[in-house]
Amino acid sequence: MRPRVVVNLVLAFVALLFLAPLLWLVTASFDANGGLSTRPPTRFTLSNFDAVLTWDVGGRPLVNGLLLSGGAALITVVVAVLAAYPLSRYQLRFRRPFLYSVLFTTGLPITAIMVPVYGLFVRLNLIDSLAGTTVFMAATALPMAIWMSKNFMDGIPVSLEEAAWVDGASPMQALRRIVLPLMLPGLAVVAIFNFISAWGNFFVPFVLLLDPAKQPASVNVFLFFGEHGGVAYGQLAAYSILYTTPVIALYLVVSRALGGGFTMAGAVKA
Amino acid sequence: MARREHQRIVTWLPPLSPSFVLLGLFVVGPILWCFYAAFTNTAMSGVAARNPRFVGLENFANIVSGTDVGASLWLTVLFVLGSAVVGQNGLGMLLAVFMQRRGRLLRGVVSSIVVAAWVLPEVVAAFAVYAFLNSQGTLNEVLSALGLGQQNWLYTAPMFAIILANVWRGTAFSMLVYQAALSEVPGDLTEAAEVDGAGPVSRFWHVVLPTIRRTVVTNLMLITLQTIGLFGLIYVLTAGGPDNKTRTLPLLMYEQAFKFGQIGYGTAIALVLLVLGAAFSMVYIRSLRAEV
Amino acid sequence: MRLKAITTGLAVIALALTATACGSSTANANTIKIVYRVYSDFPQMDDFMKSVKKEFEAANPGVTAQLDPITALDDYVTKVQLMQRSPSTAPDVLFEDSFYVNADAAAGYLLPLDDRLKSWPDWNQQFIDATKQAGMAADGKTYAVPMSTDTRGLWFNKTVFTRAGLPTDWQPKTWDDVLAAARRIKETQPDVEPMFMPLGKPQAEAMSMQTFEMLLYGTDTKDLYSTADKKWVAPSKGMEDALGFVSTAVREHLTQTPAQAEDTQWSQTQMTTLMSQNKIGFMMDGGWYARYWSPGGVSPWPEWSKVLGATAFPTQHGQAPGKVTLSGGWTLAIGANTGNPDAAFKFVTTALNRANSATIDVALSWLPARKDVQTDPRLVEKDPTTPFWASLLPITRYRPTMAEYPQVSNAIQVAGDAVLNGDDPHQAARKWAEDVTKAVGADKTKAG
Repeated sequence: MRPRVVVNLVLAFVALLFLAPLLWLVTASFDANGGLSTRPPTRFTLSNFDAVLTWDVGGRPLVNGLLLSGGAALITVVVAVLAAYPLSRYQLRFRRPFLYSVLFTTGLPITAIMVPVYGLFVRLNLIDSLAGTTVFMAATALPMAIWMSKNFMDGIPVSLEEAAWVDGASPMQALRRIVLPLMLPGLAVVAIFNFISAWGNFFVPFVLLLDPAKQPASVNVFLFFGEHGGVAYGQLAAYSILYTTPVIALYLVVSRALGGGFTMAGAVKA
Repeated sequence: MARREHQRIVTWLPPLSPSFVLLGLFVVGPILWCFYAAFTNTAMSGVAARNPRFVGLENFANIVSGTDVGASLWLTVLFVLGSAVVGQNGLGMLLAVFMQRRGRLLRGVVSSIVVAAWVLPEVVAAFAVYAFLNSQGTLNEVLSALGLGQQNWLYTAPMFAIILANVWRGTAFSMLVYQAALSEVPGDLTEAAEVDGAGPVSRFWHVVLPTIRRTVVTNLMLITLQTIGLFGLIYVLTAGGPDNKTRTLPLLMYEQAFKFGQIGYGTAIALVLLVLGAAFSMVYIRSLRAEV
Repeated sequence: MRLKAITTGLAVIALALTATACGSSTANANTIKIVYRVYSDFPQMDDFMKSVKKEFEAANPGVTAQLDPITALDDYVTKVQLMQRSPSTAPDVLFEDSFYVNADAAAGYLLPLDDRLKSWPDWNQQFIDATKQAGMAADGKTYAVPMSTDTRGLWFNKTVFTRAGLPTDWQPKTWDDVLAAARRIKETQPDVEPMFMPLGKPQAEAMSMQTFEMLLYGTDTKDLYSTADKKWVAPSKGMEDALGFVSTAVREHLTQTPAQAEDTQWSQTQMTTLMSQNKIGFMMDGGWYARYWSPGGVSPWPEWSKVLGATAFPTQHGQAPGKVTLSGGWTLAIGANTGNPDAAFKFVTTALNRANSATIDVALSWLPARKDVQTDPRLVEKDPTTPFWASLLPITRYRPTMAEYPQVSNAIQVAGDAVLNGDDPHQAARKWAEDVTKAVGADKTKAG
């Protein structure tokens, strides 16, 4: 066989393997007796979707999730870009220790710090506040975001800004007018990356929000689980599809806008 | 990059201050609290919740004298090596290399499928993998259709199963990183090697890999840190079982801190995790320094 | 320009932090917060609380009952305890597993209710003494009012028993009788799994309580914790025998397979499917299963009451009283820092008056904590086995609720998991005793 054919076969095989676990979502969501095995629906039904397509189950939690994850991604990107500028452009003695020690904290599961964070939120009167929870999620996403933004910014030649300085622009003006437009694809990557992780975050909103009407989809998905393993799998699958659609859509829109691919180029350099 | 040798504080502090405030308040502060709590018997309920006591090194003495943390530490290392360093990193690179110079369609389809697993919310991804690997799952149905032996993967090979799950879920990140890195490898370098008669494998090994070396190391560091604290995926698939064969440090920490309410001991375990993450990162950073 | 940078950055944070003034719920003496748990197969609780809220608010004008349901299983306790740690977020009334009452009272989370209960006639006349225990902490004060209780025993499939030539009014007298019945089923019907009991790490506390403690309390050791000596019983002959029983059952393939036991997603529906297909001989579990099997439950099974019988689990060698059972149950408790204890107590007495207690006990197939509800005809109508499960109450036992219990229980689960996966029960028992000693301290254990 020609190497070209082998490569194509390998790619097709891997793609199939990656696709296989997703099949369950589709089969179970249309099955009236959906279980945890992938098989054609024994009794085809749309009732699973019908059950989850209500404002309380499939509407409000998604909106809450969009507010939380969208807000967190936005704050993260703004704050990270501001931080990335001096880290990228100035010779700072604490730069490497700062970047690395901040990055190390990402290895800690979020459950490890929720007890003090809860106490802190009570003190700040932020418990049950969507805004407070959003800011917290943004803060925990910052280490990765600062790291990626700094690397993206490193990839943009300083010479472009120097021209602006000659024209009398301040560093911040140069950042806004010259650097940011060039970094746009990178910023989109940082934003999406943070949006996705916030979208799937269960523990933080579960702990910090009290009012069930404020909970996002990542918490609401547990509505389908019951005591002693009583799980409504069909509805869980239908809800999962609903819950996953926004992130897939966002990814497709952004990657299309970026010219058919994610530009991770600058994100990962030491 | 440096514009001036010594920057005055007024130039760098303002843009960094929002990060300092947010990280200080919501990340560093709580971690410092953990350092304090690890030396107490703080608990979720019971007398120790009302009056936590300073217990010195007792929690750490228990970590060292017991076998639980040691076992979990080893499982965590195994999980990180298997699923991140070898699995996601290796498969991600393979996919990126194979997809180079493929048709736009094939590239798009394969990338999208791999990325789909990555963007799935964690709990959904976990259930999808469960449905794939359980005894009546898709994998067993395929195996039996091929006349091969079936088994309950989550029971007979639990560590393998969770590694597979995390490779499935996380490979997209490495793939995207390497796709980008490969596109920046100057074409004339590989062409020159081709003229010299180097085969594809040799070209990759001697020309491409050294060029993207820094990207590889940094990618390893990022995915290691992302994998080390992974909780939800393992919790849904095996809950740390059977017989604690998949109880990595985050699961052990959760069990101690929340199921048994031992916050002090739980946070001490979290610190072990922090040190492990730093240790892995040091190795990576060292390997970069050695090069320069 | 620099100033602008600072303001941009800080404004983001300031905006977020100040915007919360409208989000946080301020403590108000005229509003009481009620915290309870909801999930898909537990919708009855939400409906119940909503109707109690209506009744309470009509009777107490000016007071609002704010319902704060929590959607979670295991993490319910985590969240409630976090809320309780901070007085300003602590609930006024909470739905609490009787199991946590002692620890939460010791933590200072709960309000002692003795004085108020004294002047509540229902408490003195109607609540069953055995269930009152569930709301009492180690200091002798009562902190919670029981909503329900439950007992544990054996559910057996009469069809399978008939095919095996076993009596359909089965009453095993010893552990050996139980094993013998299981072996007989195995011989006559190889495709039937003779017995199911909570085993495997995913079963967690159910494995400790419903399997190993049920066994242990029927041995000569009798106890996990000796109240008289204030010591944990370890090493324990009884625990070794309990592990031996499970080991025998697993080794002879009389129970579910280890793979089924370790399945994190093992579901009620799978269980019911197997039972209704006559694929399970008997199961050791609680008396509340009618809630899953009745119409509207997670796995409806209309014929269940014709097919299944219920019987008590025997002591090891038939020691008096011949059978053994354990109880848990749910309660309503009042937060220690409530701004309006009177209103909170009124809410509790409204929720647990005769009519409301009956509603929730019937809806969830719970055993009533009140005598006047025990006789409610709807209970038997929905679940004909109710009188049997209630008849076990006089001999029932509760788990020790000391703060160390979760660790002792975890040690049981570790030992149970070990024998399930083929370890020697003698060694597992020794390791268990070591683990317990380490968790509670050598001065707090005694051999038994």
